[in-house]
Amino acid sequence: MTATLSDNDNAVTDLPSDAPPVPEGATMVTVKIERFNPEVDEDLHWESYRVPAMPTDRVLNMLHYIKWYIDGTLTFRRSCAHGVCGSDAMRINGVNRLACKVLMKDMFAKSGETTLTVEPIKGLSVEKDLLVDMEPFFEAYKAIKPYLVTTGNDPSRERTQSVAERERFDDTTKCILCAACTTSCPVYWSEGSYFGPAAIVNAHRFIFDSRDEAAEERLDILNDIDGVWRCRTTFNCTDACPQGIQVTKAIQEVKRALMFRRR
Amino acid sequence: MADIERHDYDVIVIGAGGAGLRAAIEARSRGLRTAVVCKSLFGKAHTVMAEGGIAASMGNVNSRDNWQVHYRDTMRGGKFLNNWRMAELHAKEAPQRVWELETYGALFDRTPEGKISQRNFGGHEYPRLAHVGDRTGLELIRTLQQKIVSLQQEDHAEHGDYEARLRVYPECTVTELLLDEGRIAGAFAYWRENGRFLRLEAPTVVLATGGIGKSFKVTSNSWEYTGDGHALALRAGANLIDMEFVQFHPTGMVYPPSVKGILVTESVRGDGGVLRDAEGRRFMFDYVPEVFKGSYADSEQEADGWYSDPDNNRRPPELLPRDEVARAINSEVKEGRGSPHGGVYLDVASRLPAEEIARRLPSMHHQFKELADVDITAESMEVGPTCHYVMGGVEVDPDTAASGVAGLFAAGEAAGGMHGSNRLGGNSLGDLLVFGKRAGAGAAEYVAGLGARPEVSQADVEAAEQRALRPFEESGSAAAQHPYALHGELQQVMNELVGIIRRGEEMSSALDELAELKDRAGHMAVFEGNRQFNPAWHLTLDVANMLLVSECVARAALRRTESRGGHTRDDHPGMDATWRRRQLVCEHRDGAVTVTERTHPPMRRDLLELFDITELRKYFTADELGEVTAEL
Repeated sequence: MTATLSDNDNAVTDLPSDAPPVPEGATMVTVKIERFNPEVDEDLHWESYRVPAMPTDRVLNMLHYIKWYIDGTLTFRRSCAHGVCGSDAMRINGVNRLACKVLMKDMFAKSGETTLTVEPIKGLSVEKDLLVDMEPFFEAYKAIKPYLVTTGNDPSRERTQSVAERERFDDTTKCILCAACTTSCPVYWSEGSYFGPAAIVNAHRFIFDSRDEAAEERLDILNDIDGVWRCRTTFNCTDACPQGIQVTKAIQEVKRALMFRRR
Repeated sequence: MADIERHDYDVIVIGAGGAGLRAAIEARSRGLRTAVVCKSLFGKAHTVMAEGGIAASMGNVNSRDNWQVHYRDTMRGGKFLNNWRMAELHAKEAPQRVWELETYGALFDRTPEGKISQRNFGGHEYPRLAHVGDRTGLELIRTLQQKIVSLQQEDHAEHGDYEARLRVYPECTVTELLLDEGRIAGAFAYWRENGRFLRLEAPTVVLATGGIGKSFKVTSNSWEYTGDGHALALRAGANLIDMEFVQFHPTGMVYPPSVKGILVTESVRGDGGVLRDAEGRRFMFDYVPEVFKGSYADSEQEADGWYSDPDNNRRPPELLPRDEVARAINSEVKEGRGSPHGGVYLDVASRLPAEEIARRLPSMHHQFKELADVDITAESMEVGPTCHYVMGGVEVDPDTAASGVAGLFAAGEAAGGMHGSNRLGGNSLGDLLVFGKRAGAGAAEYVAGLGARPEVSQADVEAAEQRALRPFEESGSAAAQHPYALHGELQQVMNELVGIIRRGEEMSSALDELAELKDRAGHMAVFEGNRQFNPAWHLTLDVANMLLVSECVARAALRRTESRGGHTRDDHPGMDATWRRRQLVCEHRDGAVTVTERTHPPMRRDLLELFDITELRKYFTADELGEVTAEL
């Protein structure tokens, strides 16, 4: 368990004798996971497991298989298991994805045996295995005042909002706070104080909401040294978003709003 | 013994879904020092998976809608077994809760006039579900989460501390309620991250822990749904009611196996989707039960006319309440008319233009594309029943959400009564908001009227600690049991023997198997690792809860010798009017679950008058009807 990265690279844990029979049509794949147990390990290290994969399995199924039948201590977050809650963002073959939304058939090697690598998302400290400390991520989210701000009389019923007004910020309302975008950003990796794409997306959601009155305040927050100007438009965030949000575009719209101070 | 982290509150809300967060907002607004304890990260609760919407008779799309119509629909959906006061409060207050959510900032799809749009759903007479695409639950949670962030920032401005009046304990699990002479005194919990224990002291606890679906093999529920609140309440001395009623949602994915059980929203049918057998026939016309004849179309032509002209056509039978549709699909598959993977076809592709489908049902479009490689704008989906919701739960006072244990409240899926024998789609999110708020208010009133605060006993804390740590000691024992394997066996037993279609002998053997599992569960062990985020250890504690709750389901289901709503007996196929007023109550005494029978109080006269006597005749006994006719 305490091997360093290179020592254990070739050791592969095979299926235990009491594992369920390998289903017909399954392919054996090697899943290489970057692991860390703070109670015994000094460093992160790789461990590999050979597991059966159906083409329709998702990476999450591989992790469950390992946890249920090979090593019950493997730790990762997951909840809804179909891409709604945003709990299981991780680096899969080097890119940020939700484990519940990546099909194994898309991971199979063109020739030879498949090796899948799974690492925790980068830029947040690892607590155990694939689990990272999400607190800094949520702190940045909270800092942009992610709630409707209005003044004066509350409506007795509802505020009306035209279909077009509602459409204006539809894209950024889809965020599931999975952190895939923020932890794919090279600026965030080197400057943890940067608000990061997810916080800016959530600011965008309110800045362009016709019912909200605190756009100026949020723009001031994002005009900060750690705000939108840190973005170097690498588009990693847009590629990483499991919801397909045009993250970089949203950041650019906030930049433009700052430059022209208009919505 | 090492020092245990200790905190003091006025109320501990267990669960951070819709009910828990609404309860916490209410309690905090009424001045209570509030803790929210949840097993997942803040904002990831199971509520996020609700797709359809919030049923509320705002009348934005059809102005004929009002609370009385909603009340009638709810009682019909529950086959008249609902706690009528809860159904009444829900129908009356749901619109206010939706408008309130809008003022908190929630996003909704809008009508052309800019009002909150409402969509059709099974069992609802008018378009009633306020929604945002098919991600309404996610928006509801996000809005409540945002509201809590804003309250915490207010508290920071006022007290210099974000958590002065409301603190969230994420990834933290409560294992025991602590009592002082039968009154709530606090809760015992552990941090999932480091396995350290917490002693939370408070005179009130609101259970908002959701359901029990993880006791079943095929389920739409997420990992949190292990019946924690149900089990905590039972062990603290509260009653559970209606536990035999478990809703199997008619349309879960059936293929591929890795996603079996994942939900396909009812909005697909509300927006025009129809169910077909292997031959392409719309079979639901064959399954309109006697009690609903007259309200549903009997030809495809009429059914299709309803979408554009609901005043002159009756509703399509695909929009019958969920229990009816689930049973119909089950019968079709059993009689050999199913799809290749044991389901039936849900077809929206031939009914709406592709771009309209992608616009109205974006999440479903993605879900099938990404997980099953099916383009729902071009081909049919294969669907079948999946365990979705438990109608049964903690018995509570409808107005205050108080259970029979002083200081203990429950709301949302953890509470019983509101939905009777079957919940209508869309009535869950309204339930969370209406009774979440009432539970927060109930707790505040209880605290205001409290004399001396109950005290946590050190001995109880130590006992809770020992119980939680026992799986570590069992690993050396010859009888040691693997929690993952045991959980798998439990799910198999419940799915096969106490599932959608039930038989007396099968449930008796389920009870034998559950007893055997319970014995073995006493020896569940942690074989690897320590207390630092150890999922195997966490599961040992969850499995104990699931076993207790599963026993309640099986015992109550064996006792009820009729079929009604989410309880279908192959050996007692008909609905029996003599069972309508009989409610089954589960209690936990000296380590054993007992089931007793009780009679529902008669419905208040003004509520009864909302129904036509010919309809009541379908549900009530002749004797009861005698009384009713005299009254009307």
